Amino acid sequence: MRFLILFSLLLLAATGKAQQTDPGSEGRLKGLSLEELGNIEVVTTSKSPVKLSQTPAAVYVITQEDIRRAGVTSIPEALRLAPGVDVAQIDGVKWAVGIRGFESRLSRDVLVLIDGRSVYSPLFHGVYWEVQDTLLEDIDRIEVIRGPGGTIWGANAVNGVINIITRNAKDTKGTLVSATGGNLNQGLLDIRQGGGSDNFAYRVYAKGVDQAPEFHADNHQFDDWRHAQAGFRTDWNATDRDKVTVQGDIYDGAAGERANVTILSPPALANVEENARLSGGNVLTRWQRTLKDGSDIQLLAYYDRVNRLQANQAEYRNTFDVDFVHHLLLGKRNDFLWGLEARLSPASLPEIVPSYVFTPNQRIDQVYTAYAQDTFALVENKLSLTAGTKLLHSSFTGWDAEPSVRVLWTPTSRSTLWGAVTRAVRTPSDIEDTLVNTALLSTNPLEFTRIIGDGKFTSETLVGYEIGYRSLIAKSVSLDIATFYNQYDHLLSLEPGVPFVEDDQGTPAMIYPFINGNGVKGSTSGFELALDWKARPWWRLVTSYSFLNTDLRAAPFSEDTTTVFQDDGESPHNQGQIQSYLDLSKTLDLNLTFRYVGALPYYRVSSYETGDARIAWRPIKHWEFALTGQNLLQPHHVEYGGDPGPLVGIRRNVFGSVIFRK
Amino acid sequence: MRRRRSRATLAVVFAACWAFVGASIRAQTPKPTEYEVEAAYLSNFGRFITWPVAARSADTFNVCVLGQDPFGPLLDAALRGESIGASPMAPRRITTTAEALGCRIVYINSAKDNQLKAILAGLRNSSVLTVSDAPDFTRQGGMIQFILDANRVRFEINLAAAQRAGLTLSSDLLKVAVTIRRAP
Repeated sequence: MRFLILFSLLLLAATGKAQQTDPGSEGRLKGLSLEELGNIEVVTTSKSPVKLSQTPAAVYVITQEDIRRAGVTSIPEALRLAPGVDVAQIDGVKWAVGIRGFESRLSRDVLVLIDGRSVYSPLFHGVYWEVQDTLLEDIDRIEVIRGPGGTIWGANAVNGVINIITRNAKDTKGTLVSATGGNLNQGLLDIRQGGGSDNFAYRVYAKGVDQAPEFHADNHQFDDWRHAQAGFRTDWNATDRDKVTVQGDIYDGAAGERANVTILSPPALANVEENARLSGGNVLTRWQRTLKDGSDIQLLAYYDRVNRLQANQAEYRNTFDVDFVHHLLLGKRNDFLWGLEARLSPASLPEIVPSYVFTPNQRIDQVYTAYAQDTFALVENKLSLTAGTKLLHSSFTGWDAEPSVRVLWTPTSRSTLWGAVTRAVRTPSDIEDTLVNTALLSTNPLEFTRIIGDGKFTSETLVGYEIGYRSLIAKSVSLDIATFYNQYDHLLSLEPGVPFVEDDQGTPAMIYPFINGNGVKGSTSGFELALDWKARPWWRLVTSYSFLNTDLRAAPFSEDTTTVFQDDGESPHNQGQIQSYLDLSKTLDLNLTFRYVGALPYYRVSSYETGDARIAWRPIKHWEFALTGQNLLQPHHVEYGGDPGPLVGIRRNVFGSVIFRK
Repeated sequence: MRRRRSRATLAVVFAACWAFVGASIRAQTPKPTEYEVEAAYLSNFGRFITWPVAARSADTFNVCVLGQDPFGPLLDAALRGESIGASPMAPRRITTTAEALGCRIVYINSAKDNQLKAILAGLRNSSVLTVSDAPDFTRQGGMIQFILDANRVRFEINLAAAQRAGLTLSSDLLKVAVTIRRAP
């Protein structure tokens, strides 16, 4: 049957008809039986975009197909596929992923969820990307929401939300084995087995990663990385109306790192190169019930364990979370959503070195939220208004509100104009709350700096203004523009205290204290532009460009002199990329990517451009052979700073993969 | 300087690669979209369903799309030259439930799903086969709902709803359905 399609298309192509927009393929399914129709694999071009075009926010969806065709081997790499996401590899282990500025290893303004489980660390206000993993083939999609999402998603969804959603076990029946080897990815093995019926389906998976160090000018190859992970998921249609999902993951790894550790007695600064021991796991269950009138409820509960032992710090954390959502259709015009969530996160932060101390070192971080949001159709199918707020009570700062108002106008079925005003907050983390971090400044005279969390740091706030436009400008071309103006207040600053002499260690030492404050304010503005062009049925081009302008300053009461420069110079102000998805034949795909990322003055990282390529071949059923090259345009280039010592060069990476899917 | 040149060389290779790729391909086997397959189904369903005599009076076998049309020319192509018995099949785009009464099959676009209930209520006493890809369509009283199953378009049938409308579905059709809802 496929052969017939191929043949008819060859014929059409030969007569030149395939040159026209699309018509060559019309009617080619004529004469097929129902069974045959049911076995044709389709590309789902329009499903999510239809819904997407009806969303009053800057949303981009990375699909399973995008991930597979790009040949990426980790979640941060996959995030490069979305416009407006700043992704930088720091070294072989660490990543910095930001949205609309404030990019850092632990970007404090981006909330990340995997199947509804928050992986944003309350320890260090950000996401440890090196431990966020799953089988990439089991990811259904990654939804990237640029802009504040506090009303729905809660604290820390200030500049964006990244939702990683794995596939229903029903869709992953069968066997997957994928083996990859190359100069950097020295070994990468994915195994998954799924089965069951449509009423009860399951899968189990295991994966292992062994990665070589990146380029180091000083030849200290500290950043090799090994990681093993296993997990499962079951999906059960308990009744016609009830769906129950249970899933879990467990991981263990050793991640090479270099850390500057200050020793107090005798005073010294040690450059420690050793493995961080990272392990953990989670169990999650979700129950969804469809109610008679088309409304639905969802109850989500999870437990998450984090073990992190580094050269200068440790974290052992249990997180318990319960989340309830009720979605109601009220009359014809109202779509109402309300929910409650409670999260308790007891953690032990024992002292590894006396220069890095949490007091107390046992704590329970707590967040309780309630929210309600209504979408009201002002003019049916043309104009809708969404308004709502989240109320949030955290153990750090007490009450916060995150209201938003959004308007969506669809003048025609092919274009959408939307606007939003949103308030969002970033709650303090353990680090800012109670950490006392002492660092050696000089040995003669003996001087230290000391960053102090005195418990008074409060939430950072944002009021974000957004306008976006989406349009299907031609049958095969869609355009997405999002602009923003973000007004921040109470941003983190380091407020110098009065220097004093301390005589704890026998030798008098001068201490320069800095207290975590809320002394930076200002605005950022910019836009993201994305163009998706299906030039031919077999060729898709995705182009995007994003621009960021920052205008931050110390508040009048603040004496901070360094933070503004850092906030301004740690994210690229210009970024662009072109991705080409090409089906060379039925069995051969070629993907090419070119990207440009602007300079990061704070880390003295210059701008760079580089490209990736992947060719995949499926000569026989079930088997795929792929060759992938990443960062091809130079032997190595620097993407980010942050590690002590010389900047780490990210090397050209070439690897081959053999994939068996049945 | 050397570094610059090698970078330039690579850029040229990269560009050449693109050019090669652009030039060397003509014949392709694009996968159809789900709507192409859905259109093919719509041209097929009529063969497996018997309508009550009263509903057969029209000269043409109208396949209607209510609301926003996701098919475009795909539906016209799928129906072109096809007929059920003596009635040639014809596509129609309609905007109201009243117009749907002149159709044998009406496809209700999922973009309209907040109005789904009203539409289905309006068609309750007619003999029109209702089809949609809206989630929960059969649960809400629709007859055939397209679903995506591992990138394949399959369908669910609400047999009770079809029988209530006086339609007779052949066993060949029921055999292919993923699920069949018998209880009302």
